Amino acid sequence: MNVKKVVLLGILFVFCFAMVACSNSSDTSGDNSQGNSQETVNLTFMYWGSVFEKQAVEKMVKAFETKYPHIKVDAQHVPNDYTTKINTLMASGDLPDVAYLGEGLALKWAEEGKVMDMSAYVEEHPQLKNRIPETFYYFDEGKTIGTNTAAEIMSVFYNKDLFAEVNVDVPPSKGSEALTWSEFVETAQKLTLDNNGNNALSSNFDPNNIVQYGVSFPTWWAGWYPFLKSNGGSITNEDGTEFTLNSPEAVEVFQNLQDLMYKYHVSPTPTQKENMPATSVLLQTKKVAMVIDGHWNILDFGESKLNFGVGVLPKYNEPKTTIFGAPTVVFSSTKHPDEAMLFYMFHNDPEEVNLYADGLWMPLESKYYTDQEYIDKWTKTEIHPPEFREAVIDYTLSSAESGPGYSLRNFSEIDTAINSVLDQLWLGTKSAKEVLTEMEEKVQPLLKGTYPRQ
Amino acid sequence: MNLVRSKHSGLYSLEKKWGIILALPAMIGFLVFTLGPMIASFFFSLTNWEIGGTYNFIGLENYRYMFVEDQLFRKSLFATIYYSFGSVPLVILVAFLVALLLNQKVKGLAIFRTIYYLPVIVPSIASTMLWLWLFNPDFGLFNAILKGAGLPGLQWIYDEKTAIPSLILMSTWGIGNAAVIFLAGLQGVPTHLYEAVDIDGGNAIHKLLYVTIPTMTPTIFFNLVMSLIGSFQVFNEAYIMTNGGPNNSTLFFVYYLFRTAFQETKMGYACALAWILFLVIMVLTLIVFKTSKSWVYYEGGDKS
Repeated sequence: MNVKKVVLLGILFVFCFAMVACSNSSDTSGDNSQGNSQETVNLTFMYWGSVFEKQAVEKMVKAFETKYPHIKVDAQHVPNDYTTKINTLMASGDLPDVAYLGEGLALKWAEEGKVMDMSAYVEEHPQLKNRIPETFYYFDEGKTIGTNTAAEIMSVFYNKDLFAEVNVDVPPSKGSEALTWSEFVETAQKLTLDNNGNNALSSNFDPNNIVQYGVSFPTWWAGWYPFLKSNGGSITNEDGTEFTLNSPEAVEVFQNLQDLMYKYHVSPTPTQKENMPATSVLLQTKKVAMVIDGHWNILDFGESKLNFGVGVLPKYNEPKTTIFGAPTVVFSSTKHPDEAMLFYMFHNDPEEVNLYADGLWMPLESKYYTDQEYIDKWTKTEIHPPEFREAVIDYTLSSAESGPGYSLRNFSEIDTAINSVLDQLWLGTKSAKEVLTEMEEKVQPLLKGTYPRQ
Repeated sequence: MNLVRSKHSGLYSLEKKWGIILALPAMIGFLVFTLGPMIASFFFSLTNWEIGGTYNFIGLENYRYMFVEDQLFRKSLFATIYYSFGSVPLVILVAFLVALLLNQKVKGLAIFRTIYYLPVIVPSIASTMLWLWLFNPDFGLFNAILKGAGLPGLQWIYDEKTAIPSLILMSTWGIGNAAVIFLAGLQGVPTHLYEAVDIDGGNAIHKLLYVTIPTMTPTIFFNLVMSLIGSFQVFNEAYIMTNGGPNNSTLFFVYYLFRTAFQETKMGYACALAWILFLVIMVLTLIVFKTSKSWVYYEGGDKS
């Protein structure tokens, strides 16, 4: 056997391997124009979500491809470690055209010119222009990267059967009738039962053997931000340069939340929650009577045929809820911005996607909140309860303020820092005043001002 | 007769060519996947590169920030060192004891050996989920045992003070590899030395102290170095069980590095963190190597 040939072959083989392993996977978008009268455009779309959302998105993509036969969409579902994946793609310059993206990264990358400024398209298309103003993300004065993929607000959900059994008034569905905090605590106390059937107001109540909790709430920002706003508090001052979460208003809100767990024993602690199932199962199995959570849960409630009701959040001063949602963005690196925008407008159009009527999403365009014909399109379903109109639609218009990620720069890092300090609050080791005082030195250095809100 | 091979002989050049061909994949792999990234990461550690942005050369600013301003760096380095210094001796000790037991001639030995090795084969995600349940203060097994014994329960990984000790306890779950290596070492201990102890009238303790442990020092040394390096790279526990909490008490170094790079996009700073981790591990390993001369015994030579 000829040794030289073998050497050559060996080296060739190794190099081929190295090349394949190291090169970026070649770009598939673009130029398959042979034969067709119209050039085929390939778009890549990356998104997260449950299996259910995946099915809905795949259906939407098919509808899109039928409507625009010259555009092919490669929809990639990334259920876990989304941020890690998109960061890696950004670092290697291999981005999708359209993608879901956390608002922190989206705004930051928009400033770097990596995420497309959509302002011109917004002016052009009424279906973008007429979206609820609170849902637009601006990275600079008048420059927007678009809105959330869909809207979500925070509400109180409850098991209607359970309220009927114990004969307690259900949480109100009108913002103007929202419970005060103490009324809310009392409702929760009536619904918290120990294994002898005593509720939390009874003198025989045994907090060590609770079988049914009055209320469960998330410990991430959506669980406290609406109350903070309602009490006139804020994470920072107006221009985002000074930490104000140690204000008396904030201390009151956080202390009240901690008291739900450790003083009144009407809410499960984080360690108790570790072993608890999803929100819908909690309500259905009557482990919890009320949950404070996001609108998206209605999808699960509908799936599990739960007889649930929805009410407005308790208030301090003004009734307030938070409207939020991560944006879908178009990356500037796309070769086909017009087609990408077509897809962008299609991918969350309530006429095309059934995730609104299924309860996962709330629409972005104002007409879906004000015009009866359009309201019916997404709420005249078996799963949306009768009080939905007041408790969600009217409440959104009257009392929804956008979440902190819209305005606060560097919010994802700030949020991480806030959460690590709040651990102590939720675990009951320190009081709200101590925790929030301690928080200042951790969060203050991370503050970098605000984004404009229009 | 001493065979001196000529440099021009056919055999020599044939072997040289084949040697290079066969080593090439490993060499290229090392250059492309290890050395290249290391050089790149050192370069990036001197820049302020954030993913998606442009980068500028900022000299040693990242390192200055790390040592002067970054509280999380200190906290995570402390958490990692605390964990390592607790977990390494414990793992070595328990693995050694288990290996001693597994070296006895008892019935069902193969079953015992399998059982002790089993946790190593269980995917680490699965075992962390399992321990999450064991640690649960309200329903977990550990607190049930404590309460059964009339003791107050602990908050385990949910309390700043007990979080790291809990994870150290959990690390004993992974003794399988170290135990197998110890077992191999134990089987290599020359039996004539034990006989010598018998003849001198020594008992089992003497055998352990004067024969087993001294002849096992190279194995102990190996396990020490490997578990030291391994424990400094602890990640899954923080990523899955605690998210670095409560209050960053389990913010292990590699988890902090991962978070900085892939969630906060600060790649330049993360590269600097990676280099510091590399230096820390290297220095500690060097210290272990230096001290090894005084306590590791190699049979058949006094040069280590």
